[in-house]
Amino acid sequence: MAYRVRPAVVGCAIRPAITARNRSLEEIIYDISQAALADAGLTIEDIDGIVVGCNDQFDGRAISVMMASGPTGGVDRDILSTPSSSEHAFILGSLRIASGQFRTQLVVAWSPTEVSSMSEAQRLGADPYFHRALPLDELSAHALQASALNHVWPNAWVFAETVAVKNRRHAAVAWPDPPARPAAGPERWPLTERLTTVPVTGAVAMVLAGEPFVAERDFKHPAWLRGMGWATEAAFLGDRDLTAARALVEAARQAYTEAGITDPTTAFDVVEITDATPYAELIAYDALGLAPRATIAARMAEGWFARGGHLPVNLSGGVITFNPVFCTGMIRIAEIANQVRGRAGLHQLPGAQLGLAHAGSGFAMQYQSAIVLGAAQGDVS
Amino acid sequence: MSGAKGGGRVGIIGIGQSNFRSRRDDASYPDLVREAVVPAMLDAKLDFDAIDAVVYSLSPDSIVGIGNAERLGVDAVGGRNKRFLRINTGGATGISSVTAAYYHIASGVCDVVLTAGADKVGECGDSQTVLNKIWDPTYERALPLGTINMLAMSAVRYMQRYGMTEEDMAYVTVKNRRQASLNPRAHLRRVVTIDEVLESRIISWPLRLMNCCPQSSGGAAMVLASERFIRDNNRDAVWITGVACRAETYWMGDRMGTNPTAEHAEAYALGRSFEQSYRMAGITDPANQVHIAELYAPFSNTEFHAIDAARLVAKSGESVKRLRDGEFELGGRLPVNPSGGTLCTNAIAVTAMARVAETALQVWGRAGAHQVDGARVGIASGNGGDHQIFGTMVIEA
Amino acid sequence: MELLGRQEVWNITYDHALGETASYFFTQIRDNGKIFGRRCAKTNKVLVPPRAFSDETLLPTTEWVEVGPGGRIEAFTFVYEQFNNLPEPPYAFGYVLLDGADTALGGYFKGVDLTNPREAAEKLAIGTRVVTKFAEQRKGDVLDFWFEAG
Repeated sequence: MAYRVRPAVVGCAIRPAITARNRSLEEIIYDISQAALADAGLTIEDIDGIVVGCNDQFDGRAISVMMASGPTGGVDRDILSTPSSSEHAFILGSLRIASGQFRTQLVVAWSPTEVSSMSEAQRLGADPYFHRALPLDELSAHALQASALNHVWPNAWVFAETVAVKNRRHAAVAWPDPPARPAAGPERWPLTERLTTVPVTGAVAMVLAGEPFVAERDFKHPAWLRGMGWATEAAFLGDRDLTAARALVEAARQAYTEAGITDPTTAFDVVEITDATPYAELIAYDALGLAPRATIAARMAEGWFARGGHLPVNLSGGVITFNPVFCTGMIRIAEIANQVRGRAGLHQLPGAQLGLAHAGSGFAMQYQSAIVLGAAQGDVS
Repeated sequence: MSGAKGGGRVGIIGIGQSNFRSRRDDASYPDLVREAVVPAMLDAKLDFDAIDAVVYSLSPDSIVGIGNAERLGVDAVGGRNKRFLRINTGGATGISSVTAAYYHIASGVCDVVLTAGADKVGECGDSQTVLNKIWDPTYERALPLGTINMLAMSAVRYMQRYGMTEEDMAYVTVKNRRQASLNPRAHLRRVVTIDEVLESRIISWPLRLMNCCPQSSGGAAMVLASERFIRDNNRDAVWITGVACRAETYWMGDRMGTNPTAEHAEAYALGRSFEQSYRMAGITDPANQVHIAELYAPFSNTEFHAIDAARLVAKSGESVKRLRDGEFELGGRLPVNPSGGTLCTNAIAVTAMARVAETALQVWGRAGAHQVDGARVGIASGNGGDHQIFGTMVIEA
Repeated sequence: MELLGRQEVWNITYDHALGETASYFFTQIRDNGKIFGRRCAKTNKVLVPPRAFSDETLLPTTEWVEVGPGGRIEAFTFVYEQFNNLPEPPYAFGYVLLDGADTALGGYFKGVDLTNPREAAEKLAIGTRVVTKFAEQRKGDVLDFWFEAG
């Protein structure tokens, strides 16, 4: 195996939509961190290190990790932060466990909606040299990606509508009494209001532990990390093939190599994809090797990716249900961890053994990650 | 563990740094990153194909004025379709990035990792405006807090506890400027006198202009590799033998009052981090086992508590007299910041990486005019946030 | 060659939720001119400003405790430099341990002559007693009060 010590997820807390304003952001982070520790049956004394995924522009704080250190338990502990994405915090936490130099890690991410305009905060991410003057926010970038896909795949818009309907149906099972039903999002053609969702506040935390600690504390149902891949696209949209997600192809290659997966079309019981838009989910089917583009029409016609199908995708309802923008990636990973731990709640897939989480973020999914988690530890070499 | 990458120890095989300056109007932000990456790759004698992952070093976006500016830096570090993530722990970011790169290799996942970044502090106009936003909007941001004011208050408490004087602080500046004059990469290289420091204008009493670091522009990059890769490819390397990070409370007022765990005069968590990295490296008597230290100290007074926290002296406060006795200058018993340190160069996103890079060059015997003779064991540190998040390393030849 | 530059301004507004704990603290300051801290039951420390949880014990705080208005100086600085978007210098500010509190609260020091910083430093030496003064018109933030020696 690739790791010196195999990491596992032993505790999860997911709050994809926080609507009350009775807690400050610090207090929300405290709540989610404590909830993940409680889910693991551990206390902060058991935690050797922390990695947080947070974004200064969304949080309205410079060096957001400073504020987060107290509520996560960072006082007198080793804490790092990955402002590039929430999923990167999971990845770095896993690498730290895999090094054998830490027994445990707490990884935490959040996404508030305290900024007057998410779009304005995102537009600061356009470089001031060539692109800042353009109306380039994340949704616009997703729309450019969608129109590029419609060009090379003229029926993509039909399938995008189908994906949106599927995920909203999943949400009806996962969240019969949802914390909130966010309004449909703004439009950026070809992203109609049916294909987007208004951002909400959310938070997620996971407790990771290495194999010796899992054995010592006798965790009954850890989610073992079987493979992990991550990669980035170029910065400028004009330098990219927006229809291809090459970075995701590479991320999947890394993850599948580590996990020993040779046929991803049949390997997984359950998948979570960061459907920042339904088009992103369509691109991911292909890039992750779950279904070559030519087969997607037939697969969707038979409900392959829907609840009850061969490979259910986004049983949680996905991002189109709840869109806490910055932490959607880590939420996908936590959802899969809970599925293989048998703790996914109302949307549990009975008997899920091996799952795949896709995390994507940035302009038109610049950052791409693929995480394979299993109920079984896999090869022990 | 057949097929595992990252066998054995983790070594440093390539280093690149800019010549740091106030402004670099000739170069865009990614140009500055590239300026450090190219010499690091040449130093490591590697092509970008050999890089398994990139760790991007960037502290607050608002300093460079580009949200998630690491995205813009992807091509500068040859990151397309590679593993890539960014670290931010404020001023500690640079050493935290090397630390994150270290875990990429120590985990067994990667063999060769590039870490790089740059800053253009001069372009944000006034870094203290940006840095006021590091305080929480609930209680403290309405106060005129900035990193200078914060550490002026640390100086006041250190003066009260240990009798440090303004003249003692001036000695630190004089020492570091003299050392920076030998380092072509340093930003402030003019040698100054005690009187000049004491006559420079007051910024936040007791800190005067010459007790404060400059706002620098430039980049830094390092290539790390597994011992197996280094051996198989016959590379020269120095080794990261100790690595740690510790944080203390965000709340400055909690570092005062009744029996604070972390006293604001000191650098409590820096001491805790050094304890951990010394334990890992097997160092039991740092004052005698360490040959050179690059300690992150952006203001003259903070070099004293950094020396205390690194246990280069027997007890806190002793650093003041020993520094004035010349023990920590180039040619002295244990040179501290022979490069001139953060006091003479502060490109925030990579300042703490420069501490690691300079320490590595010293134990490698490649530091140039500011080389410490016979250095084999070095330490480096970085401080981030409101003197809150600390990273430390031990590097050995 | 001709090198160009471009001015860009970040101008974003945030509406931060303060939560119940800070909301109580600021309404007490605004409405009653009183300062409250929160006690951590495990360490018995009174945290000022009040926190919903202690970052040392990670336990929720349990009790409101009124503190001040007297206190002692824990740290100070005098600022003589103009920073963008910060007040016009010179000014004095720092941290005070209010009576009944275990952690120090930040605020301005007023009524100090800053012409000679060393003389001013003696007047505001660490340990000096101060009293909290409140503005007539209060809006519920930390600028509603300041500290004066004696």
